[in-house]
Amino acid sequence: MRRLVARRLLLLAPMVWLVATLTFAVVVAAPGSYADAVDHPGLDAAQREALRARYGLDQPLHRQYLSWLGAVLRGDLGVSFVTKEPVTRLLGRALPPTLLLGGAALLLDFLLGVAVAVAAARRPHGWFDRVSTVVGLGVAGLPSFWVAGLAVLVFALLLGWFPASHMLSAGADRMSGGARLADLLHHLVLPAACLGLAGAAGTARYLRAALLDIRSERFILAARARGLSERRVLWVHTLRPALLPAITLLGLSLPVLVSGSVVIETVFSWPGVGLALLRAAQARDLPVIMAITMLGAVAVLVGSLIADLGYAAADPRAREDLR
Amino acid sequence: MTRYHGVEVIEMTKNLLPVALLVTAAAACGPPASPPPGPSDAAALPSGGTVVIGLLSDVQGWNPYLADDLDTAQLLALVYPTLAIEQPDYHRHPPSFAPALARAWTWSDDHLVLELELDPRARWSDGVPITARDVVFTWEVQTSDDIDWLHSDAKGSITAVEAVDDHTVRASFSRVYPYQLMDLNDGPIVPAHLWSSIPFADWRDTDWLPRSVAGGPFRIAGHTPQQQITLERNPGYWDAPLPALDRVVFRIAPSEQSLVNQLLAGDIDVLPSLPPADLERVRAHPGIELVIYDDRSYTHLCWNTTDPRLADPAVRRALTAAIDRQTLVDVVYGGFGRLGVGPILSSFWAFDEGLEPAPHDPAAARAGLAAAGWSDSDGDGVLDRAGEAFTIELLAAAENELRQDIALLVQADLARVGVAVEPRFVEWGTLVAAVDAGDFDGVVNRWEEPTQIDLEGLWRTPAPDEPTFNFGRYSNAEVDRLLDEVAGLADFAAQRPLYHRIQRLIVADQPYTFLVENTRLTALASRIRGAEINSATPYFNLERWTVGREPAR
Repeated sequence: MRRLVARRLLLLAPMVWLVATLTFAVVVAAPGSYADAVDHPGLDAAQREALRARYGLDQPLHRQYLSWLGAVLRGDLGVSFVTKEPVTRLLGRALPPTLLLGGAALLLDFLLGVAVAVAAARRPHGWFDRVSTVVGLGVAGLPSFWVAGLAVLVFALLLGWFPASHMLSAGADRMSGGARLADLLHHLVLPAACLGLAGAAGTARYLRAALLDIRSERFILAARARGLSERRVLWVHTLRPALLPAITLLGLSLPVLVSGSVVIETVFSWPGVGLALLRAAQARDLPVIMAITMLGAVAVLVGSLIADLGYAAADPRAREDLR
Repeated sequence: MTRYHGVEVIEMTKNLLPVALLVTAAAACGPPASPPPGPSDAAALPSGGTVVIGLLSDVQGWNPYLADDLDTAQLLALVYPTLAIEQPDYHRHPPSFAPALARAWTWSDDHLVLELELDPRARWSDGVPITARDVVFTWEVQTSDDIDWLHSDAKGSITAVEAVDDHTVRASFSRVYPYQLMDLNDGPIVPAHLWSSIPFADWRDTDWLPRSVAGGPFRIAGHTPQQQITLERNPGYWDAPLPALDRVVFRIAPSEQSLVNQLLAGDIDVLPSLPPADLERVRAHPGIELVIYDDRSYTHLCWNTTDPRLADPAVRRALTAAIDRQTLVDVVYGGFGRLGVGPILSSFWAFDEGLEPAPHDPAAARAGLAAAGWSDSDGDGVLDRAGEAFTIELLAAAENELRQDIALLVQADLARVGVAVEPRFVEWGTLVAAVDAGDFDGVVNRWEEPTQIDLEGLWRTPAPDEPTFNFGRYSNAEVDRLLDEVAGLADFAAQRPLYHRIQRLIVADQPYTFLVENTRLTALASRIRGAEINSATPYFNLERWTVGREPAR
């Protein structure tokens, strides 16, 4: 197990380097740069040229790349072209909202996914199973920008139950601590639901299949033969082994937890990493794009490692395979 | 480097002089000349309250001399004072100015020296007086190589700014032209007592928010990056009356759609620029009013005049005649917008009133193309000449649905006269790089015009290998000569006929198909009173806005 962890961690650095280098190549290979994308109709061509020089964008590509790589190796992620602040500060600010949104969505994903799967697996092909299958496939299949747009239209504009966007109300700075927390949770509901529901549909499908597989195992028959209640057979003896795929799913959800959902954060103006990435991509803010891409790469690699370790911890057979 | 505001040499004119004098005299007599509604109107309305304004992007920091974008400059103009306030009268003559920090000014006889009298009441929000030292320090900032302010070119004809005493500043110019005061006034005054201790070389590494202080009607009260900026009334504001509003909140959202949703949900009160596509949704909504006015911008098709198929002005005129621009205005802009005429907007003082929009005339377009040697020899529906089909690639920004719609309508119109258009929608940065390199046939673009008339950057023959906004590489020796001539004239009335001739030459050459002079739609909550919305500045008289009932937020 230790060897596995060590091997994976050793692979981490070259993988992140590879991903970052490819991203750098793609971003700088695309025509145009921050100086072209800057939103200022009054700037003339010479002023845009001056901007290119200010941010080093007039340098040959290999020099830009080496200077970026050297800075990263020294632990310096650079300064955002747009906000003129260190990228680490920008990321430090964007991470908590993304963690909050991703965490709430993951919680919803897991709790709702388990509840629907258990209810569906109780009576396979019963009415709930059929309805949840159709609805689940629909929810998982619909593009998230569409679901989010519809949610805003119905729940914010027509019914007025939830705010249409942002993390806090315009006057939140004058609220008491409790009211501010309530305001935050009120703003969290719609984006977390939009992000979590699609995940829950997937979790429910996987888990239902696993539950049905396990129901036909002989140890379940043995549990029933021992006279255990159907509830105990389902919740303890069937659900626990069936949760193994969910561990993998949760591990793979880690990247969304830290790198955010560009679509949901954009629709709801949620100030997280996903929105920061969109802003950076629109503005061709190279240092920010690079930092978020590297963060995403680390999250994917660490997430899959955590999934493997979690799986191994839960299942002795997997432990053997990973040895 | 060319200058931000454009026109190179124009002199102080007989016509402008009375305007400047009038403004100066008015200042000496009391309150500023222009700001409607007056204090008495404002006093009659309930004061206090918050206005929430939608913004598409966050500020680029808190120092107006380090930001690259326009939004930051416009927002910080509410916090830092300017010497004078530009008036929205550019349609009659070069803009005039109302007093602000400078309560009066006088010109020397040769019009090369301007002496400004600062308002002795002026104070920063920390109580320190705003003096000539701040104005001189600001001038040093604006012209510092270390800071490299993007608009430092505006100061190119100013040779010195000196303090005569605490409340008198003297500015010297190297030449006489109508935009002298405008150029001097460009950029807000910043606090010497707080900022001068930081070496200019360190400015880009400095966190400016803790060093912010207000000299304008509002002060910075809070900033949640990518979410909102909160300004509040500057209680020490020296120029009575105090703003009626307690707070102005700028809510930031990444898309126009998100801003429209927030407007409809009642989360924001003001959407400075409403997309025409959302007009009906917003119009049907109670409690929102629309202000419709001329924008200082025009949307056009820029043709690459170096392309052999597009080099002939007769061909470009034919392309323009083939495009049904009125339908385009009706369909894409919901009927809001005027047909484009030429390189100077019809709302500007220098516009040639004798010019009319080119008519939609497909028959004339076909005849023009035939005369240029284009015919459909192989009967495939697309014109050809010497074996080459007339196929044009038309670029538009992928982020801008409106321009994509335009490209599709143009495609349909030109197909009717046998010209095949292949629209290509690419990311904005990619588009700019392509047109910059001359690697395009046609592009759907939009220019926003400063209130100084600037024909140099777009219409003068570009020098080879120099960056230019004359993307289509248009060249007309007579236009170049007239541009030289107009630059040497002091009198804007004398410039007018030259500008008329330039417009006629460019309209005849059609390097652009001038599609639409844009109209701006600003959405305002009905509870806002006293708002003066115009295209000179976005938050023109925010300090005089009042609100009625405060909604639950």
